[in-house]
Amino acid sequence: MSAPTWKDRLSGEMSPEMTVEIDTFEGQIDLKKQGKLDDKFFAETRLRRGAYGQRYDNGLRSDGETQRTLTFPQALTKGPDTQWDAPGMMRIKIPMGRLSIKQLEVHAELAEEYSDTILHVTTRQDIQLHYIHIEDTPDMMRRLAAVGITTREACGNSVRNVTACEYSGVCSTESFDVTPYADACMKYFLGHPDVQDFGRKFKIAFSGCHENPCGLVTFHDLGAVAKIVDGKRGFKVVVGGGLGAVPVEAKVLAEFCPAEELLPLSQAVARVFARLGEKQSRARARIKFLVDKLGLDEFKRLVQVEREGLRVDERWTENLKDLTRLDEKPIRPGAPLPTEGPAEFLAWAKYNLKPQVQEGYYTAIVKLPLGDFTSRQARRIADLARDYTGDGIRCTVEQNLAMRWLSGADALAFWERLADIGFAEAGAGTITDMTSCPGTDTCKLGISSSRGLTAELKKRLTLVEDKLDTQVRELRIKSSGCFNSCGQHHAADIGFTGVSRAAGGRKVPHFNVVLGGQWAHNAGKYGLVVGAVPSKNIPKTVQVITDHYVANREEGESFQSFIERVGKKDFRGILKPLQVIPSYEEDKSFYSDWGDPREYTIGDIGIGECAGEIVPFVEFGLQAAEQELHGAQDILDTAGGDPAVAAAGAFQSMVTAAKALVRHLDKQCRDDADDVALQFKTHVADPGLFNDPFVGNKFAHFFLGLHASQRFVGANKEIAHKCMDEAQLFLDACHATYQRWLEAANQAAE
Amino acid sequence: MQAQKLQVKFFARDEISEVALVPVFHEWIKQGVVSDELLIDVADYSHVPDGPGVMIIGHQADYAVDRDGARQGLTYSRKRLAEGDFAARVQDTFRRALSSCVRLEGQDGLAARFGTGEVVFRIQDRLLAPNDAATVEAVRPALEATLAKLYPGQQATIESIGEPREPLTLRITVSTDASAAELLARLSA
Ligand code: SF4
Repeated sequence: MSAPTWKDRLSGEMSPEMTVEIDTFEGQIDLKKQGKLDDKFFAETRLRRGAYGQRYDNGLRSDGETQRTLTFPQALTKGPDTQWDAPGMMRIKIPMGRLSIKQLEVHAELAEEYSDTILHVTTRQDIQLHYIHIEDTPDMMRRLAAVGITTREACGNSVRNVTACEYSGVCSTESFDVTPYADACMKYFLGHPDVQDFGRKFKIAFSGCHENPCGLVTFHDLGAVAKIVDGKRGFKVVVGGGLGAVPVEAKVLAEFCPAEELLPLSQAVARVFARLGEKQSRARARIKFLVDKLGLDEFKRLVQVEREGLRVDERWTENLKDLTRLDEKPIRPGAPLPTEGPAEFLAWAKYNLKPQVQEGYYTAIVKLPLGDFTSRQARRIADLARDYTGDGIRCTVEQNLAMRWLSGADALAFWERLADIGFAEAGAGTITDMTSCPGTDTCKLGISSSRGLTAELKKRLTLVEDKLDTQVRELRIKSSGCFNSCGQHHAADIGFTGVSRAAGGRKVPHFNVVLGGQWAHNAGKYGLVVGAVPSKNIPKTVQVITDHYVANREEGESFQSFIERVGKKDFRGILKPLQVIPSYEEDKSFYSDWGDPREYTIGDIGIGECAGEIVPFVEFGLQAAEQELHGAQDILDTAGGDPAVAAAGAFQSMVTAAKALVRHLDKQCRDDADDVALQFKTHVADPGLFNDPFVGNKFAHFFLGLHASQRFVGANKEIAHKCMDEAQLFLDACHATYQRWLEAANQAAE
Repeated sequence: MQAQKLQVKFFARDEISEVALVPVFHEWIKQGVVSDELLIDVADYSHVPDGPGVMIIGHQADYAVDRDGARQGLTYSRKRLAEGDFAARVQDTFRRALSSCVRLEGQDGLAARFGTGEVVFRIQDRLLAPNDAATVEAVRPALEATLAKLYPGQQATIESIGEPREPLTLRITVSTDASAAELLARLSA
């Protein structure tokens, strides 16, 4: 008896699109194992499905003395320099951070069966599972798809997770609930052809208001802030923000964009970015560089021209017809909070409960240590949601969980049950509620251990939390393992970013200290870099900085205003003694990082996959067409295979290839065969762009003729064979045409 | 039973310091102490209450001194490439868990000691080993064969614990004072 499979078990529970998509990905894994797919193509394929690389996946790891080779059983690779068997990370997109109870339980199962039982919430409301084997990913995707989650475009050069304030719909300062708009945006761009040919990733965020920080739109590639003008809903749209080594605040693209115009405007931005954005140099490929290069006015003009040329798409407004479709309902009657109870509960209620606009309800923040929780804890949280709050769980950008719709009357019982699983800690949004990227723990680009540092700071600050000055207690600390800034440290009061320095011929882990960033106003201001301090002196650095602030602030002066007033110079002087590195003989501990006793090295840094592989969309299309044709051929070769199905598959492969060429010319084209044939004829065949030097336009007619005659419908074996031959010749001609175009472009560039 | 993802946990008698454990696990990787497994990296989750503690992530298996269920212990989790039939895989999982207990007990400065009278056996695979009575019965003969070697002449009790949403989890209890090293010797005999 053959073993059961998740594919069979879940058939019928996934959407047909997801079923095909995951089967295709599994097919690509098989092709890669047979050596039929190239590394770069496979790497971008898996990245676009959320299967990311991890530290040491190049098969090298320092043990503190020497760089050792990790000899994995299979000699295969899953990307340039990436070992097949090496553990990787699965990034699971949680749009707007919204999780249902069932979805949370499925995550718990996956973490247990394929990972290390830990679910990790990221600063972009995703959930990441680490130490995953590539061959497990299709089943993981199936189990997620069965509860409506896709990992598609969680990584790679495309539109990443669409984020939104965790308080959307329950917040007292929002203009309106951005959830349905963010959801419409996510659905519209998922797999959209206009977002497949970017040189880098593209991040979109929504915020319900300008004043509060939750949406963090100012450091996104595209941000939308809810706004009502003359009673009409719309958004202030900003573009070109980003963190990284050069943080840039997004610029205003439109002061007010009516809600129904948001998707076409965003699509126009995406098309301009795809067409003109940098593709060769990854370091300059984010949209912020394009906006900078063109200037905002020219960028706006190009977007406007693009917008005017867009073909109307009914999906622009389709998901806006019913704005209540995602509304959540409380499952318990609302009531005020108790005013008495255990001191720990009252402290928790003060910091971790935010009153909702709906009277008697609160959003509870479950503070997760470093964004981590276990499968067992996930199930307990699911139970809490089932008993008290319902499906409205949201992952937050501060790596916590927000549980909405908690009745004040249930708060104490809820807190007691949180205490049972170790998550009753107060202090959400305070100095002990820190954010950290994965850093050297698992990230290939990590320079210093941001998680190790954060764990250490948290341990120390939790011990003295109650004695801290009130303003100090409310500061935010965020750490990134390198300049890519995934820990969002630029927007923290006190931020750290990993760097390395040399001393006495050895490497010493350091952190750059960044002060005075603003979390409020959607990350309204970035902090000042004051200088690099050895990792092991960072706890003292926090102490010195906060003491200096408390001793020298003016009446009521905020930390940010203080930093602005005293400036970098003052702090440079203060940090100077802490920048001294003791010799190796004096104190070896400085030469290893927090939580990692190995002697520090930067030799473990690999090539990041954040940027994805640059595989042009047209090449994806041509590869996909090849696979469709192989599939069709398999059907024809199988005893009992229906020739009509095979012939239709052959025709579909021609449609896919033709579409890839049309879109490569930056022409708009829908997915249906009629439109593809029309656009192919108009923009490729008729202008002679498909002409073979020897046979002219002959191969174009294979496609156009088959489309006109529909000979493949109900085809017998003989016709199916002919369709197959014509499709193969057409696909070969598509490849040849693309090659000719590339050569012409290269010559023109020279 | 085709499941590969077998897990065995022996509970710690005394508290094991996680801070002290991190360098020990790094050293295991450096020394390649498990010759037929590829040990890759150390993951420190000691910040998570009742979590997986400190782990060695390997290719074939993970090792953790965890606090799952609010009790510290050594958990060996096979992930792939286990050899032999199900009975052989069960025995191999116990053997590897016990070897690491013995290795930890011999580690200077750790003061680790493991009890042997209570063990948790889990199968982390809901597809091949659904958490139901039929699976318990299917697992029982192989498990009993290993327990007979580990605890000769003694009656071990096997009970299913946890809730249906969890992976199949069995608690084995037996009255014994034997050390981890003695159990390991019995298995290897
Ligand atoms: S900031 Fe650097 S170390 Fe941290 S996750 Fe991003 S790329 Fe990795």
